[in-house]
Amino acid sequence: MFGGLRERLQAARARIGNSIQTAVVTSQEQGRTSASSVSQNPVLTEDQVPSPPVSSTTFAGKVKSFVIDRELIINEKEITDALFELEITLLESDVALPVTDAIIDNVKRHLIGKHRKIGQSVDALVVGTLKEALLDVLGNGFNLTDYIKTHEHPVKILFTGVNGTGKTTTIAKIGFLLKNQGFSVVIGAGDTYRAGAMEQIDIHAERIGIKIIQHQQGADPSAVLFDAIQYASSHKIDVVLADTAGRFHTKANLMNQLEKIRRVMKPDLIVYVDEAVAGNDAIVRAFEFEKTVGADAVILTKADMDSRGGTAISIAHTIGKPLMFLGTGQEYDDIIPFSPTQIVEELLGDS
Amino acid sequence: MLDSLSNSLKDALKKLAGKTVIDRVAVDELVKDLQRALLSADVNVKLVMELSKAIRTRSLEEQPPKGMGIREHVLRIVYQELVRLIWASTDVKLEPQTILMAGLQGSGKTTTTAKLARYFQKKGLKVGVICADTFRPGAYDQLSTLCEKINVPCFGNPGEKDALKITREGLGVYTDLEVLIVDTQGRHALETNLIQEIIQLNKLTKATHRWLVVDAALGQQASEQARRFHEAIGIDGVIITKMDGTAKGGGSLSAVAETKSGIVFIGSGETIEDLERFDPDGFISRLLGMGDLRALVERAEEAIRADDVDVNAMMKGKFTLRDMYKQLEALNKMGPLKQIMSMLPLGNMELPEGVYDVTSTKMVRYRIIMDSMTSPELDDPSLINSSRMQRIAHGAGATLDEVRELLKYYKMMQRTLKGLRGSGGKFNMQRLMKRFSGMQ
Repeated sequence: MFGGLRERLQAARARIGNSIQTAVVTSQEQGRTSASSVSQNPVLTEDQVPSPPVSSTTFAGKVKSFVIDRELIINEKEITDALFELEITLLESDVALPVTDAIIDNVKRHLIGKHRKIGQSVDALVVGTLKEALLDVLGNGFNLTDYIKTHEHPVKILFTGVNGTGKTTTIAKIGFLLKNQGFSVVIGAGDTYRAGAMEQIDIHAERIGIKIIQHQQGADPSAVLFDAIQYASSHKIDVVLADTAGRFHTKANLMNQLEKIRRVMKPDLIVYVDEAVAGNDAIVRAFEFEKTVGADAVILTKADMDSRGGTAISIAHTIGKPLMFLGTGQEYDDIIPFSPTQIVEELLGDS
Repeated sequence: MLDSLSNSLKDALKKLAGKTVIDRVAVDELVKDLQRALLSADVNVKLVMELSKAIRTRSLEEQPPKGMGIREHVLRIVYQELVRLIWASTDVKLEPQTILMAGLQGSGKTTTTAKLARYFQKKGLKVGVICADTFRPGAYDQLSTLCEKINVPCFGNPGEKDALKITREGLGVYTDLEVLIVDTQGRHALETNLIQEIIQLNKLTKATHRWLVVDAALGQQASEQARRFHEAIGIDGVIITKMDGTAKGGGSLSAVAETKSGIVFIGSGETIEDLERFDPDGFISRLLGMGDLRALVERAEEAIRADDVDVNAMMKGKFTLRDMYKQLEALNKMGPLKQIMSMLPLGNMELPEGVYDVTSTKMVRYRIIMDSMTSPELDDPSLINSSRMQRIAHGAGATLDEVRELLKYYKMMQRTLKGLRGSGGKFNMQRLMKRFSGMQ
């Protein structure tokens, strides 16, 4: 998974490393010829090297790079090409444009004007910076099992998202997972709108052996989900998984309905579901959903579609909520917990 | 976020306005903004790079035709290059055919299948649907419920696991129908057995068309997925779904580039009627954050046809209350005003949210008031004096002010139509809308 991004990131990393390496060579030559003037120039003492990116640009415009106390300063010009390549890499991996801008900015800020000990490997510096930037965006994962264990039962989980992202399938997968972990689960069939939705979740529930609370087609979803919670409370069920109909954030009436559902069922967790193949729109809708009903965690589906994982970065950056699971296939056990460190290690690690 | 982008594109264009000599800096800025607009619309990164390079070179090197301003010159190049990217809109022939639907999971194949059935049905063809999705639970229920609503026969068997068998049976049953649409299970390029299955389905159905359904939000993956589908069954048309959200559908351009086919339809809503024929001009405008006039016209034509509004008489300035009545009715059929307005090239104009709702309720009131008018009054509104006004208000249960307001609205429409004729067919929407909101 995310193999594409990984390959490209490694290429970009090598490229940035190379540009810095070249800079080192040229600056060392410069250093030899003008060593005396450099050391005499008071402007170039270490603590006067400007660190904010704005001033470092002008600084960088004047001089290429310097050897000061056997340290190197990386300037913007040298890594511009490489950063552009990184930018393209991120864009091609479905990281949304504004998020790409933010990451590039972050990497630039950390690299430019940075002092590098000559002995330190360029690669380590670049990888470290990229890693930091990505981890910064992805935050920590979300351990659902721990959450359920430490909270009062029934733990009520509401699933939201636009049409066709795979909410119902994901609920079936999570139901299956939790059941195998020994929790008792009930599903509330809150999608009373789409034709065939009731049948779909009904069949899933039957296959994985989970109780489902349903009303008829067209019923008020809030009522269905309220009933599901009542059922869970009276039967000492551990977890309620509440399905909802897919809806677009642009439809005010449907978003109001979702808001009502939240008011009525008072969920402990609101999980926003989107697909890993979504492009720039992912940030717009994640933002709108977060704004209207909130979101505590994110699940990305269809991660098996050769996606490059940029959507994860986009959404995490936009709403700052942890990613919980990745959906990776058509079977009930095709769901894996999302671990940022592991993913970043995998993306940037060697071999 | 995206709005600010399309605004910056407009700003960049503004800078070029009135210039007589190509300004390299301004062109660079425009190209950069265009790049950003297209990238945020999920157009393939490589396509964007090629496109912007071509636009830049052509803008700087080509001499603008005589009499054409720099801004128009650059806009024309942008437009031409974008059209080249989109290829042509694919023809939909109203003749017997078999259509095989293909696409990723959750892209909206089943909903689109029903919408297509409705489209061909409305065009007077005998349509049947086969549900070859044997995997997703509830798939058959979904499709058959949708088809039932429009009285289109739907063949399927939720108990059967073999998609080929169902399809073979369905083809046997529906021999007397003209258009057959085969809905298939969602699949992606890496699922080898499923790709194999659709290859066999294609062979079995001898499909006239193999249309790829693409979610408007699909990102850079669109190229790869489309390429593999194309290799497998030879895609000859792309349908973009979920265009009623905020996604711009740039991914479909990658699909078009990979399959060398065109975009056939656009799905833009949850009801079965929400399917539009694709129009490159409109799509480009939407991609860049402007309006879509052509799609509106097509919808309007369909809605108006039944009522036979005499457009020619109207254009000659003979616009009576009767015409306005028909127009309001037609407008009602076209769906919520907001949807229509979003398709118009209103440019930078910001409309207050309340405008749409109030206006559409007001339109209903207007129709009620007009129902209380006599035939001569409808044909010649100048007949309406204050005693007639009293009678109309009384009959419609409306106030005198409301009747007056209606007449004022009528006069405004009449003037607008005259203006439309005067300005060489250019609809001055901005002025119309200003009046619209002024009447709240």
